[in-house]
Amino acid sequence: MELTQGKALSTVERLYQDYGFRARELKGQGEKIIGYVCSFVPLELIKASGAIPFRIRGNIFEPITKGDTLLETIVCPYYRSCFDLSVKDKYEFLSGVVIPHGCDSMVRSFSTWSYGLPYSYFHFVNIPTVCEESSFEFFEEELNTFRKSLEKFFGKTITDEELSRVIRIYNENREKVRALYELRKADPPLISGTELTMTLTAGSSLPIEEANDLFDQVVAEVKARGSSPLKKGPRILIDGACLDHIELIKLVEDLGGHVVADAICNGARDHFPKTDVTLPPIKALSQRYLDKVNCPKTYRANKAGTFEGDIANRFGDIGAYAKEFKAEGAILYVYKYCDPFGFEVPARKAYYQSLNLPMLHLEDIYSAGTMGQLRTRIQAFLEMIG
Amino acid sequence: MTKVVILKEEIIASVVGPTGPEQRRLANKVMEETLRKASLSFPQITYIVSTGYGRINVPFSDRQVTEVTCHARGIVHLFSGARTIIDIGGQDSKGIKIDASGKVVDFVMNDKCAAGSGRFIEVIADTLGIPLDQVGALSLQSSHPVKISNICTIWAQQEVVSSLAEGVPVADLLAGIHYSLADRIVRMVSRLRVEDLVILTGGGAKNKGLIKALSEQLNRSVLVPPNPLITGALGAALIGKEMVEKARKNKTPIETRERVFKEVEIL
Repeated sequence: MELTQGKALSTVERLYQDYGFRARELKGQGEKIIGYVCSFVPLELIKASGAIPFRIRGNIFEPITKGDTLLETIVCPYYRSCFDLSVKDKYEFLSGVVIPHGCDSMVRSFSTWSYGLPYSYFHFVNIPTVCEESSFEFFEEELNTFRKSLEKFFGKTITDEELSRVIRIYNENREKVRALYELRKADPPLISGTELTMTLTAGSSLPIEEANDLFDQVVAEVKARGSSPLKKGPRILIDGACLDHIELIKLVEDLGGHVVADAICNGARDHFPKTDVTLPPIKALSQRYLDKVNCPKTYRANKAGTFEGDIANRFGDIGAYAKEFKAEGAILYVYKYCDPFGFEVPARKAYYQSLNLPMLHLEDIYSAGTMGQLRTRIQAFLEMIG
Repeated sequence: MTKVVILKEEIIASVVGPTGPEQRRLANKVMEETLRKASLSFPQITYIVSTGYGRINVPFSDRQVTEVTCHARGIVHLFSGARTIIDIGGQDSKGIKIDASGKVVDFVMNDKCAAGSGRFIEVIADTLGIPLDQVGALSLQSSHPVKISNICTIWAQQEVVSSLAEGVPVADLLAGIHYSLADRIVRMVSRLRVEDLVILTGGGAKNKGLIKALSEQLNRSVLVPPNPLITGALGAALIGKEMVEKARKNKTPIETRERVFKEVEIL
């Protein structure tokens, strides 16, 4: 695959490869950078406090070493890699870290992060694991606690006006991501899956305004291609947790497929849901993060009364994406020891069957070393649906 | 093992040779031998499809197709009613589900652990000093198969050694080993919802003890092709033949590599 790479995509590649260099620069200029993991940290609050949210990433090419002296291997390999890099001072420019109750590993290891790392600010966002009326009430209070904690650390009041302004900027960002996804709809797609995930990953290392500019530039640059330089191939949806590296997507695309849709954290799960600007800001944030971010860690009561109805309710967004982006197959990519996704595999499998969408389930350990083993499976899957 | 099948209407020649550390040179050797057996010269071969782990290491192959697709194609050619294929090789094991039209609809693979592959039996056979081609028949003589509790190949090996020291008959140990491997494979392929006809292929299909253990645990009869080592290569040849026939029908050019044996430099 040879794609013409203009200025915007070259910037993306640099931000992706040397992840955090812009944040380091900004720190040098006196900015405060707050690291976070997972889709459940309300970034709007961090931004409104005057700091810059920065998504902590793992590195599949870097063996986990120092981190394993503090965390047991029962913790999922993706999260261990994030921790390992933090312990090895890869993110030394951070002033603090915010972690939500996104999975068992996050809640159980929060104390390890807080005593294992030298930052001066730590906060745990206690997002409920159920989604009922009382959960929203609780979560609004929890968001106010987070707000106060940030106000105390930065010595600055977060007003509702400022929060509403920031919410609008983040909503703009989500619209720009949508514009990037629109470029996937052509067959073959105008933008490769590798380019798109690289762009979103690069964006999560930048101040939101800079990410917005970058996404605009990428959209313009890719649109200028006119027609797709890619060859037609099976259209694939990737489903799973946080896929903050391009290797798996690149493997699919090297083998002749195209990743055209996803239900992953640093993809549609994070970037599609918008915040309701007609509601008071804390209430709106509570609804967005608790209800609209569709993650298996949230228990949703079976309102349909049947298994078929339940899976249709829980995973309806995946089916809608598959339809919208004309996916011909799905890859469910699950990290070993991932509790939210691990428990869901049979239900998700049944859902894909109900859609008549062929699905390949891959379990992996967040390491570049396993890509060879995955190659045969992915190639066989593409041959099967091709 | 490296396998070659040359196909015209039916199989003209097939050879099974060892795969050494120098895979690329060995593909040449086995290919040369097969050509000799078929009395053909290399340029007479219209199209070559390579498959398996070494598929990228065959310098003269025109196309690479995975062993999942090739095994399925080869087995469906031999058994038109096949619905479930179990392939047990020395590197991995696989389950493949096929629909009524012969198309692959799902598959599972184990390539992470030796205990789920034919390697498990190879290691134990070696520990007991029994040639691999005899372990199956020997296991059938068992009257009280031993329960092997270790899943890891290395620990199972130790368990076998200590049971041997306690005087447990070799046949009972071997039967236990076959049941242990069959148990893991049945659990893996059960995810595909096994349907008849069930075909066992790969090196594991040459082992009578394994066939018995598998069919008991699946509660179904398990069929075996006449030459289970070559079903993947046969499938590759059939796929190559179809591609050429299709290209000729549509009058599209057939792109092939040069038919010469090159000594590939290995880094």
